[in-house]
Amino acid sequence: MLTLGTAACSSDIADSSDAKDAKVPDRPWEFTDGSGEVVKLDKAPTRIIAHGAEAAALMAYGIKPVGIYADEPVTTDPNLKDLDLTGIEILGEEWGSIDVAKASTLTPDLIVADWWPAEKAHSGFEDGVKAKSKKLAELAPVVGASQGDSILDLAEGYEDLAESLGADVENSQGSKDKAAFEKSRDAFIAAMEDKDFTALAVSPASDLLYVANPEYAPELLDFDRWGLDIVEPDSPDKGFPYWENLSWEKADKYQPDVLMFDSRSIITDKKTVQDQPTWNSIRAAKAGQIVEWPGFWLHTYGHYAVALDKLTEELSGLDDLIGD
Amino acid sequence: MTDQLVATATVAPGGVSPARRPGALATGLLVLGALVLLTAFLSVTQGSRSIGLTEVIDALRHFTAVSTDVSTDDTVTTQLRVPRTILGVLVGAALGVSGAVLQGLTRNALADPSIMGIEAGAALAVVVGITVLGVTGIQLHVVLAFIGALAATALVYAVGSLGRDGATPVKMALAGAAITAGLMAVTTVLLLTDLQAQQEYRFWQVGSLAGRYAPIVTGVAPVLVVGLVVGVLCGRPLNALALGDDAARGLGVSLTRTRIGLFTVVAVLCGAATAACGPIVFVGLVVPHVARAICGPDYRWILPYSLLLGPLLLLGADILGRVMGGDGELQVGVVLGMLGAPFFILLVRYSRLAEL
Repeated sequence: MLTLGTAACSSDIADSSDAKDAKVPDRPWEFTDGSGEVVKLDKAPTRIIAHGAEAAALMAYGIKPVGIYADEPVTTDPNLKDLDLTGIEILGEEWGSIDVAKASTLTPDLIVADWWPAEKAHSGFEDGVKAKSKKLAELAPVVGASQGDSILDLAEGYEDLAESLGADVENSQGSKDKAAFEKSRDAFIAAMEDKDFTALAVSPASDLLYVANPEYAPELLDFDRWGLDIVEPDSPDKGFPYWENLSWEKADKYQPDVLMFDSRSIITDKKTVQDQPTWNSIRAAKAGQIVEWPGFWLHTYGHYAVALDKLTEELSGLDDLIGD
Repeated sequence: MTDQLVATATVAPGGVSPARRPGALATGLLVLGALVLLTAFLSVTQGSRSIGLTEVIDALRHFTAVSTDVSTDDTVTTQLRVPRTILGVLVGAALGVSGAVLQGLTRNALADPSIMGIEAGAALAVVVGITVLGVTGIQLHVVLAFIGALAATALVYAVGSLGRDGATPVKMALAGAAITAGLMAVTTVLLLTDLQAQQEYRFWQVGSLAGRYAPIVTGVAPVLVVGLVVGVLCGRPLNALALGDDAARGLGVSLTRTRIGLFTVVAVLCGAATAACGPIVFVGLVVPHVARAICGPDYRWILPYSLLLGPLLLLGADILGRVMGGDGELQVGVVLGMLGAPFFILLVRYSRLAEL
C-alpha cells in the first residue's frame, strides 16, 4: 500500500517535469558519479534510495526518495530533522547499518550517496560498514557528488543530479535557497573584510582536546576562502588525520581569536570545558569567544545560508586581536 | 625450588615462617617504596608540556589553588599533575591489591576484575546514566560506576553461591563470566541506539588517568585508602583459603564469612578504581604474579608487594603515555594494553606461574 503511494508520488514528479522539461523519463539517462564513472540507464530513475544528507539535498528540488538510510536517528540528523518524511521508508538510523531486506521491497532504481575520494567508496559502503548492509549496492546503481574541498561541490552536484532526474530546478525551494545562500556568503565576506580573525575548530573531550584539520573539513576551507583564517594544526594524528590530539597540558598550543565548537555538540562541549583547569589558558576561551561550527554535515544551500548567517552574527562584535 | 614452595605453603598459614627470608623481603619493600616515590616525582615533573624543575617547585610552593592569575605552568602542575599522580598511586595500589585478593579468593591464576563482573557492572551503570537518566559529566559517572560495580559484584556472589557447596572458586568464575556477558549485552543494546551516549562512553571506556581532577580524587581517595588498609591485612585468611576449603575449615575458618569479607574488599577497591579511571587492564592480573614470583606463596608478603608494584606499573605506564604522545597523550589503558601482553607472556614463559 505504502509502496503504491510512493510510486504514484514519484511518477508525479516525473510527469510534471515531463510537461516543462525536455527530459522524458523514457529517454536514456546518464550521470557522472563523483568517482568519475558514468552511470547509464534506459530511462530516468524514479524510485530512489538516498543517504540522509543527500536525501535532504534532493528533496529541496522536489525529488522525494522512497527510502532513506541515515547515520543517526532522523529526528536528530541536522539535515533531516526539519523535513517532512511521511511516506519515506527509514532504512537505517545508525552509521554502518542498513536494512537491505526492507530496501529491496522498495524496488529502487537508483541509490544516491556521496563519493569519498580518500576512502574510494560511497557513503554507506565504506570500510567498517556491515557486509550485509553493503549489499544495498546490488539493488541499483549508486551515484553521488564527490566530497572535496568545498560544500559547494556537494550542493551543486545534487542540483545537477536533481535536474537530470527531471526536477524543475528553477521553480524549486532549492533555487530560492541558493539565492539566499549567495546573499549570506556575500555578507560573510563583507564582514570578514573589516576583521582579521583566526579561528580554531575544536572538539573537547574529558582527557584530550581535539583540534580539527581543515584539510578534511570542506566548510572550514570555505570559511577560509571567504576571509575567516582557519588555523591548521601542525601535527595531525597519523592514523586519523582529521584531528590533532592535544593533551590538556598543551591546550594553549594555539592561540586563535575565535574557537569553534561543532553545532551538534556545542552544549555538551561547553560543559566539558568548564571542568578543564587549562581551558582558560586559551585567551579566546577566557574571553568567551566561541562560535558554532556546522561540522561535516552541510549539503544544501538552505542549511548553508542559515549556518553562515548565524556565524556572521556571532562573529560580529568579537575581538580579532586576542589571538597570536 | 619446588620443594621450598611446598614446604612454605604448608607452614605459612600458621604464621611461623614466611616464604623467603623476611629481612630480604622487607628490604625489597623499602626499595619498592623508594621507587614509587621516584615515579611520583617523575609524574609531577614530566608530561607533554615541558615545565622546568624550578617552575614545578615554584608552583608547588605557592599551592594556593584559588588565585585568579596564575601561569599555565602553575595550573598544569598543581591542578593536573598532582591530582593525576595521587590518583595513579591510589588506583594502581587498589588494582594490585584487589587483583591479589581476588586471585587468592577464587584460587584462579587468571582472575582479574574484568571476569568478576565488576567492570561490566560499572560500564552498564555509566551507560544507563547517560542514556536513561541523561547524566553528563565525569564526576557523576564516577558515582554511578561505583554503584554499578558493587551491585554487579553482589550479583556475581549471590549467583556463585547458589547450590549445595556455596561459593566455590569454579562457580564464582562461571557466574562472573556469565553475568559479565549479560551486562555487556545490555550495555551494547543501549549504546547502539544513542550516538551521543557512544561518544561519552567512549572516553570513559578507555582507561585513563587524564581529565580526573581534584573533585574526583578527593571523592574516591577516602574509599580507596580504607579499602587498601583492610586489603593489606587480608594475608592470613587468604593463606588459609590457599590450602583448600577442607583444610581451611579444619583451621577453624568460616568459609562463607571469609569469602564475603574478601569479596567486599575487592568490590570496593576495584569498583572505586574503575569508577575513577574507567576499566584498566593488566595491572590487577600481572602485579600479583610479579609479587608472587618475588615473595613466594605467602599472602602476608604478596599483598604489600602488590600494594607498591601496582602504582609503579600504572603510573610508569601513564608517564610513558604522556611522553610518547607528542603534544597529545596516549591513555594509560592503551599503553598497558600494548605493554601488558608481551610482559605477561615473558612472565609466564620464564617464571612458571606459581600454582594457586
